Amino acid sequence: MNAMNAMSTPVFSVEGLWKVFGPKAERIPADPALTSLEPAELRARTGCTAAVRDVSFDVRKGEVFVVMGLSGSGKSTLVRCLTRLIEPTAGTIAIDGEDVRAMDKSRLRELRRHRAAMVFQHFGLLPHRTVLDNVAYGLEIQGMSKAERRARAQEVVAKVGLEGMEQRRPSQLSGGQRQRVGLARALAVDPEVLLFDEPFSALDPLIRRDMQEEVVRLHREEGRTMVFITHDLSEALKLGDRIALMRDGRVVQLGTPEEIVGSPADDYVREFVRDVPREQVMTVRTAMRAGECGGPEHPGAIAADAVVAEAIKVVADLGAPACVVDDGRCLGVVDAETLIASVAGRGVVAADAAVAGTAAAGADTAVAAGSRAAGAAPVPKTAAPAERPPATPPPTTDTGAV
Amino acid sequence: MATVTASAPRALPGGLLRHRAAQKLLLLALAAAILVPLANAKWASGSWPEALTVDLTNPLTTASNWIIDNRDSHPLFLYGFGYMSNAVVISVRAVYLVLLAAGWTGVTALGALVAWRVAGVRLAIGTAAAFLTCGLLGMWVPTMQTLALMVVAVLASVAVGVVLGLAAGLSDRLDRTLRPVLDTMQVMPAYAYLLPVVLVFGMGVPAAVLATVVYAAPPMARLTSLGLRGADKEVLEAVESLGSTARQRLLTARIPLASKELLLGLNQTIMMALSMAVIASVIGAGGLGDRVYQALASVDVGAALSAGIPIVLLAVVLDRVTGAAGERAGGEHESSPRTWLYAAVAAVAVALAGRLAGRLDWPGAWTLNIAEPVNRAVDWMTAHLYSGVPVVGGTADWAAHFTTWVLNPVRSGLQWLPWWSVLLVVAALAWLIGTWRTALTAVLAMAAIGVLGVWTPSLDTLSQVLAAVAVTLVLGLATGIAAARSDRFERLLRPVLDVFQTMPQFVYLIPVVALFGVGRAPAVAAAVVYALPAVVRITTQGLRQVDPAALESARSLGATPGQQLRQIQLPLARPALLLAVNQGVVLVLAVVVIGGLVGGGALGYNTVFGLAQGDLATGLVAGAAIVCLGLMLDRVTQPTERRAKKGA
Repeated sequence: MNAMNAMSTPVFSVEGLWKVFGPKAERIPADPALTSLEPAELRARTGCTAAVRDVSFDVRKGEVFVVMGLSGSGKSTLVRCLTRLIEPTAGTIAIDGEDVRAMDKSRLRELRRHRAAMVFQHFGLLPHRTVLDNVAYGLEIQGMSKAERRARAQEVVAKVGLEGMEQRRPSQLSGGQRQRVGLARALAVDPEVLLFDEPFSALDPLIRRDMQEEVVRLHREEGRTMVFITHDLSEALKLGDRIALMRDGRVVQLGTPEEIVGSPADDYVREFVRDVPREQVMTVRTAMRAGECGGPEHPGAIAADAVVAEAIKVVADLGAPACVVDDGRCLGVVDAETLIASVAGRGVVAADAAVAGTAAAGADTAVAAGSRAAGAAPVPKTAAPAERPPATPPPTTDTGAV
Repeated sequence: MATVTASAPRALPGGLLRHRAAQKLLLLALAAAILVPLANAKWASGSWPEALTVDLTNPLTTASNWIIDNRDSHPLFLYGFGYMSNAVVISVRAVYLVLLAAGWTGVTALGALVAWRVAGVRLAIGTAAAFLTCGLLGMWVPTMQTLALMVVAVLASVAVGVVLGLAAGLSDRLDRTLRPVLDTMQVMPAYAYLLPVVLVFGMGVPAAVLATVVYAAPPMARLTSLGLRGADKEVLEAVESLGSTARQRLLTARIPLASKELLLGLNQTIMMALSMAVIASVIGAGGLGDRVYQALASVDVGAALSAGIPIVLLAVVLDRVTGAAGERAGGEHESSPRTWLYAAVAAVAVALAGRLAGRLDWPGAWTLNIAEPVNRAVDWMTAHLYSGVPVVGGTADWAAHFTTWVLNPVRSGLQWLPWWSVLLVVAALAWLIGTWRTALTAVLAMAAIGVLGVWTPSLDTLSQVLAAVAVTLVLGLATGIAAARSDRFERLLRPVLDVFQTMPQFVYLIPVVALFGVGRAPAVAAAVVYALPAVVRITTQGLRQVDPAALESARSLGATPGQQLRQIQLPLARPALLLAVNQGVVLVLAVVVIGGLVGGGALGYNTVFGLAQGDLATGLVAGAAIVCLGLMLDRVTQPTERRAKKGA
């Protein structure tokens, strides 16, 4: 199914996107002498700040696409460019093949009303309205009648678990509840894509985990396409089908969580993912070696996309190598040695070739994004992400910066 | 991102600042060294040279005569100002008649019910009590006159203010043009607005209403714009991300988000309108202000007091009710339309009951004449406390001493100074505190006073202002520091400051006349009393808002309370202290010129004289000089960044 999606038109297709703030910003993307400058030098030379630099990627239908980076890396600007809340300086953006930058005002409004809804870091709720009226606000903007929009809002309020709070005001809610209202407001307009701008970074860790699971649940139930901005690596790994890692406005690597952790594109990414518990992210597919169990009973019988941590448990219980099974067919074998090698980050022979290929392509992001869409299919995530134990965030990423 | 660039000048603050101040002074000295000998050679030093004045008496008299002659015939008046004036008269009259028709029972009930709905039971009782006191003092009719004028003026001010505020809030360009104008209008003494409107509309209600609107609309405009601009950016972004049109954004998000500022604007507009409506009695507003004005003219303190008390009550009630409405805005206390309906029905019922009972006018038997006992008390005071009290002396003695030992020397000192040295001092002060722009404005304003030919009276007014400011600052800073250090003292002080800050300027003249008689000293005393609350409040707030971490670290190093105050609190509260000085100066000037009514002389007197004698030329020139003086004083004391909201 994923392979088929990869072939169909992407929901968002971004090509060579630039956003430059400052005087005469347009000249920067066009001038190769300026585009190659480092951010600090560019600012000194031209007074401009390039928040997004030559970014390209596709967001496929039904996937959770995470843009992750530290504060100031341009990720929030990037997501705002998608619906032109911030006007891009150069490049193309297409939604379902339609050019967003060419849209006139009313078409753009149509896009914002029906096709892409956003959830904000600080919720962006209207303090003078009740929960119900906040949720119904998007529908009100569209001109829906009061009774109809309230009925619809009521449904969504129930969906995000806020029943009984309809008549409260945002000031009477906790942070997590407020963000549920923000989420409900975005869901109420039934958009094709949900855009999240660091939605949970203002919340307490425990509430944040609840909300992440809420998003996972919603995604599982509705299969809605999501673009998720975060500065928290563990959040990115937990939610993302694919992750684009940004630094200084550029995408330094784009790939599945496993690719990012398993084969970092450069030292920056390597430093970033250093403390990720690899056994929680790497799948058995990359840890197995060729081999056959040689019988129909498949001892252990682990799915290829189970994480290494599960395989360790199975192998430990079994006391012998376990068989990796896909569709009743034996793909290979994992044993204590291969699993340890995988956790230690030492390449396993069989999987290395495929991953190394992406790593090389990852160096040039634009190409990587394009080529992956055509070629290497992402690892399907059949195991429900909610069941996957949460990875501990590495200290370097969990800055708590807002 | 900005931190990189900002950190560079912060590296050497003390040295650089001293350096820059010295540079400025050096530059100024250089300019003076060249210009002063030239000026001295051409025109003598001493008072402002005759050769540099422009006599505006003739053109102004001609203009004023032309306007008087053509007021009934020229199309500009017939179809422009005439309509405006008629509209004002008709609406004030209509509101007045409605108020009278509602009777005292109706008005009291309506006031109490509105207060109940927006501000709760306690204020409702307070409102009813205030109205009944007005009646009890025999001031029901003047109160209604003032109220009618206020209603029309406030509605017009709010309309004008909201339109200007919306324009400035939505368009950056308009904001850049409007902001300095509104800022300047806000520091002008109320008095200065009277003469131009009289020139166009003549004495009477229309002029009073228009002067009130001009005076009261700026805060509404400023706060509307501030509210629109201060809205949470992310909320607006969220609203935009849902595909709202610009109109939807304005109506469903920006205006509701600004409701707190809008209500604060309404509150300030009402307070300023009341203040002006009372002062405008000088140009024929009638009502309570007129009673005070007439009583002061004949030094009848008792009569002035019985009209002054309703003004104070009105001010306190209006301020508390609108203030409470502002605090509730955005809260969960939204009252449903139905309770409003009940309130309206109840008010109408009470009004009808009063009407049927034949109690439309305040019953004459229920009035309490306080004028006589008050006057008797004042007479007793005059006899016993004015002078010759052993050891402490009397109040009149104090006033006389103050005049002889402070006001006179300062005045003659200022007038003795060569004119160019005054300009130099103004330039130096303004430049040191502000920027070269503020310095230039200040010098030009001061020079304009000379050109207008009112150099001497202006310096007289200035001497009163300086004396009053000095007293205000000494008292205000001391009280402010005390209040910042003791919670108990602040708790005691707060309600007093609240009441004092809401009272219209005019009212302050009553007690000082009772205490000190007439003259320049009482004008200064009134100014000090008027400006003191704002100075105390800003000082206290500034000191209390000093970063607690800095204070704590000083304490942990073992600093004594005195060291904490001198080394941490006062330096860190510098912006607030400068603002206190600025506000003190502006407020003092506003009252010093009104002091012309009680013998303050100088510019204030010229204005009153011009109005009373129909000699508009003298009045207008004095009014223009007041404006220039206000501009100069504000710019001289203006710190580089001005606070968005004013204390008073």
